[in-house]
Amino acid sequence: MTVSPMIAGAAARPVARAFVPGNAWALARRGLVYVLLSVAAFLSIFPFFWMMVGATNTSAEIIKGKAWFGGALLTNAATFFAQVDAPRIFWNSGFIAVVATALTLAISSLAGYGFEMFRSKIRERIFGLLLLLLSIPFAAMMVPLFVMFSQAKLVNTFASVILPTVASIFIIFYFRQATKAFPSELRDAAKIDGLKEWQIFLFVYLPVMRSTYAAATIIVFMTNWNNYLWPLIVLQTAENKTITLILSALTSAYTPDYGMILFGTVLATLPTLVIFFLLQRRFVEGMLGAVK
Amino acid sequence: MSSLKLREIRKAFGSLEVIKGVNLDIADKEFVVFVGPSGCGKSTLLRMIAGLEQITAGDLLIGDERMNDVDPSKRGIAMVFQTYALYPHMTVRENMGFALKFAGVSKPDIARQVDEAARILELGPLMDRLPKQLSGGQRQRVAIGRAIVRQPEVFLFDEPLSNLDAELRVHMRIEIARLHKELQTTIIYVTHDQVEAMTLADKIVVLREGVVEQVGRPLELYDNPANQFVAGFIGSPKMNFLAATVVDKSADSVRVELINHQGTRLSIPATGGTVGEKVTLGVRAEHFGEAGAGDADVTLKIDVAEHLGSTSYVYANSGVEPLVIEREESRHQFGEDRIVVSISADQAYLFDSKGQRIR
Repeated sequence: MTVSPMIAGAAARPVARAFVPGNAWALARRGLVYVLLSVAAFLSIFPFFWMMVGATNTSAEIIKGKAWFGGALLTNAATFFAQVDAPRIFWNSGFIAVVATALTLAISSLAGYGFEMFRSKIRERIFGLLLLLLSIPFAAMMVPLFVMFSQAKLVNTFASVILPTVASIFIIFYFRQATKAFPSELRDAAKIDGLKEWQIFLFVYLPVMRSTYAAATIIVFMTNWNNYLWPLIVLQTAENKTITLILSALTSAYTPDYGMILFGTVLATLPTLVIFFLLQRRFVEGMLGAVK
Repeated sequence: MSSLKLREIRKAFGSLEVIKGVNLDIADKEFVVFVGPSGCGKSTLLRMIAGLEQITAGDLLIGDERMNDVDPSKRGIAMVFQTYALYPHMTVRENMGFALKFAGVSKPDIARQVDEAARILELGPLMDRLPKQLSGGQRQRVAIGRAIVRQPEVFLFDEPLSNLDAELRVHMRIEIARLHKELQTTIIYVTHDQVEAMTLADKIVVLREGVVEQVGRPLELYDNPANQFVAGFIGSPKMNFLAATVVDKSADSVRVELINHQGTRLSIPATGGTVGEKVTLGVRAEHFGEAGAGDADVTLKIDVAEHLGSTSYVYANSGVEPLVIEREESRHQFGEDRIVVSISADQAYLFDSKGQRIR
């Protein structure tokens, strides 16, 4: 068998790479990307780390800038539970967040499904109008909203916190975009199988879009759990306050106990963390718009 | 009784009319294929029969009942989609029994009907799998199984083999033909693949731009096309077209001269046409004979020759009038760059300037 000189030459070429300016630039660029990503990761993780560390230190240690775990966790916990009616506050926050999330998902996903599946010129205009409403800041709506709830005698009730959130334009938009990936043939097949529109929604759309629902659950639950401004306005008695309002009230004390506050903050982040870790895989799929 | 009648069926999206007055009779147990190029309205027509698209005007009768406004599930039809449309969160068994569950059929009856369909399609080992755990061919079989379970009077297939690879397509084509024989039900099948149409159909409906161009048995359409569109669409390779002029006419024949082959004249048995009229002569690839064997010879420049084993295709005359010539002889050698072939008048078709057949 003969080997052509060209091929033989190629095989015998030394493996050591010669310096090429282009490669050096690519390497430098990659290095820069890693540095930037590391900085971004640090900036994201540090506050969380600092909160955890702070929850185990005394207020004085935190003010001094101690950045490692201490031994004051139990003291902070005891102070927190002594000052705050924790079961009540967590129940309030939990009830509001769970009910608001369930209602938001039900209403907004139905709206998103409807806007995408039953397209018409008039519906497109209504949808455009809804998107326009996104640009109105909440601060501009607070007073009229308060007057409205006041007239309906709903101020200082959980309903006053939940109701303004249930038709979320962002979540409607999110579901509408996700519905574009829902195969229209599935709806056709279901119609031929004898399903009514509400049955298609319930028995075909909903299970097929579970990743979308999972992602929306995390977003909506977190928004409602962390909701501060509107509850601050409408929840006026101590027994109705949510965890965000209580934490804020603790920081405004004359000499705030930062260790105790950070312990409360750690507790307040736990439900969101649990939900995120439970739905993490679906969250990624949902954000990518996957229909599995 | 599962015959269908379409009477002046029309469909418009706003001011755009996509189905323009279709009249069609489909007999009980007939296998009818709607064929045509993309955008011809074949799938829309099928969806109108299924009840997935509103009928703008006309009447659709299944049996003797007008079905225009009847719910899709009550039309006695079942549909198989190009993308299978299996519910991804349900197992094969659940997918197949889903329609029956909503129809209020009892659990033992659902199980019996699903098992029967599974037996017919040999789906037994796959029943507890999810669609994502199946291959393309298996999914298509499940989709057909789901249709069978409903025991419909009419099966509707919307390009069911388009997503499969070539080998599987041939296999599934045979499966569907076998199924039709076994189930003895009316089937309406949409495809843009004329090979599928020719091999499966009892009757082919050729559509173009929402209009039925011709209806007939496969070989009827192949041998006796009504116009140049059907002649070009049915058959693979497609029919060759040569520009010609009518130079003379008698009581039972029209004499034409080929424009790009000066001096080549032949008399086609036909009574239409006028002297001086520009016409098109159609010749199928397999109807070009050996030099001197037909009524007129033409010399062509060979571009490419394809050897497929039992058949060879010669592609000739690029640029002027691309022609395909089929040679049955195997291992045919085309050494020269030219080939002389003959055209027989009784195997040629004549079309007027509007593409209509001159008979």
